[in-house]
Amino acid sequence: MLNSLKWWWGILLAFSLLAMLRLFAPLPFVNEVLLFSIYTIGCNFLLGRVGFISFGQPAYLAVGAYAAGFYLYYFGTNPYLAILLGVLAGVIVSLMVGPLFVRLRSDYFALVNLALTVIIFYLMQKVLAGVTKGDNGLWFLANIASTPLLDISRPDQFFIFALLVAIAVWGFYKYLDDTLYGACCLASKLNEDKLQFLGYSNFRIRLLAFAIANTTTALAGAMYAIYLGLVSPEIASPARAADPVVVTILGGTGTLYGPLVGALAYTGMKDVISKLIGNWELFIGFLLVFIMLAGEKGIWGTLEPRLTKALFRERNGGSGSKPGISR
Amino acid sequence: MIDAQLLISAVIFGLSIGSIFFLMAIGLSLCFGLMRIISLDQMLYYSLGAYITYSVSLVTGSIALGVLGGMIVAAIASFAVERLIFLRIYDRDIAFTMITSFGVLIGGVGVIKHFWGLVPRPVMVPITSQLSIVGTDVPVYRLLLIAIALLVYGGLWLFLNRTIIGKAIRAGIESVEHVEGLGINVYRLFTLTFIIAGTLSGLAGGLYAPLIMVEPQMGLEVLAFVFMVVIIGGLGSIKGTLVSAFLVGQIVSLGSLVYAPLAQMAPFAVMLLILLIKPTGLYGTAFLKR
Repeated sequence: MLNSLKWWWGILLAFSLLAMLRLFAPLPFVNEVLLFSIYTIGCNFLLGRVGFISFGQPAYLAVGAYAAGFYLYYFGTNPYLAILLGVLAGVIVSLMVGPLFVRLRSDYFALVNLALTVIIFYLMQKVLAGVTKGDNGLWFLANIASTPLLDISRPDQFFIFALLVAIAVWGFYKYLDDTLYGACCLASKLNEDKLQFLGYSNFRIRLLAFAIANTTTALAGAMYAIYLGLVSPEIASPARAADPVVVTILGGTGTLYGPLVGALAYTGMKDVISKLIGNWELFIGFLLVFIMLAGEKGIWGTLEPRLTKALFRERNGGSGSKPGISR
Repeated sequence: MIDAQLLISAVIFGLSIGSIFFLMAIGLSLCFGLMRIISLDQMLYYSLGAYITYSVSLVTGSIALGVLGGMIVAAIASFAVERLIFLRIYDRDIAFTMITSFGVLIGGVGVIKHFWGLVPRPVMVPITSQLSIVGTDVPVYRLLLIAIALLVYGGLWLFLNRTIIGKAIRAGIESVEHVEGLGINVYRLFTLTFIIAGTLSGLAGGLYAPLIMVEPQMGLEVLAFVFMVVIIGGLGSIKGTLVSAFLVGQIVSLGSLVYAPLAQMAPFAVMLLILLIKPTGLYGTAFLKR
């Protein structure tokens, strides 16, 4: 019991801090942060654990969002079922394209993913315009039935739902890190030849990682669809293809809480800076370059060791009361 | 089936976009071949070239002067970026340079927005006359684009094959260590190659500006296509880049003739296909790790 609590406490602390943020920040902001962090953790896993940089996350986001959107617009009303369908679609699509993609080298991988994003974008915008209503998108906010226990068609209850989902997702990724499989992922990033020598199949490990990460992204897509009440091709826009990569690096590649910190910083900066100078790309761009030149650790990657140290000192000396989240 | 006149003008259209793609992709390809970096910021020099062309042509009324100015500014900008940023990260892995250069690109788009604003700017077409090819009227300016691209290819070929610096660059594409071992300062070569790449991207932007609207996001729009050209041709191969640039141009323009939405999608489908069959691209060689 105590052990499992110890295992969970970092995640619980992180998300209770985020829940407290709800008291100070407006609801759309917190929701956006939660969704964005779930969106990013897939990319973080691919980049930090398996060594794949993906400029194609919007493709999988759109797959999840459109699966949920089609269901809600044409067939049913239950939002939970819609999310389940979105996740299912994510699994199917990533298992379909995965075997082809994961054979490629990291930089080619980034580009074929980008290509997939462009294909899905135009598929949804033009080719399937009869079903997807083209640029107008599918609007189904009124179709979402209110569910008894947790009514996720309302933004405030959606927040609770998103928080629970995020805790589950983070628990899952933390669990992955601890398993042998997580170690294999890291090994395939660091030295694939040795891993092969040990008798593991790089291909299978990468395929599984690819499927896991993109299913998480599809889950985020389905949740976006429910939250916004619409899906439009804009969700797969190639112009935003680098967002998850930027957030991953901003937060700290390969760290567990990196996506959370990154999403918080990114959304916050987008809000604050666009109010101040209306030119936040300038800032994000140079911040990205700065972080890369400063050692690509990101915000959380830099902060984490210091917080751990501060926390450690606190336990020994008992001075200072700043709460630290640590893995 | 398809009207012959329509077909000819589509082929010329495809060749002219292919020329622009070639001018941009050649820089990327050279940078990858020699320095093993993926320099997304070429799109920034492309936008810069287009914007300077717009501003200069507004003041002087001459597009040619504008393009020249665009090339010079692009060269200066690429020199500054190379000295300030890339010099520090040459020995990092490819994905790292890709992300860093993407940061430069986004930051540069911000700078452009700051100076020129968000409004798309039109640039007048310098040559409006038409030339008749087999009964089809073809804009001379598009033919000029194709000619310039072929000239650049010829010039580059001469430079790489007939001058000692060009030979050193080609040797560097084979093996940087050996060139360094011969006592050649490879970092000079890197800087030179980077500036050539940036200047050609600036040229592409300046030449393409009259045919499109000049706007801050123009670099991001063309990014995917340029990348595709480099990938299909094989990273580091100059001949492959020329072939695949014209190929992609044709796919875009003929695809839109057959079925309009195809214009944007078909090249990506072709790229996926080529990559899955031959992961190194058409002319790429197997040397992939440094």
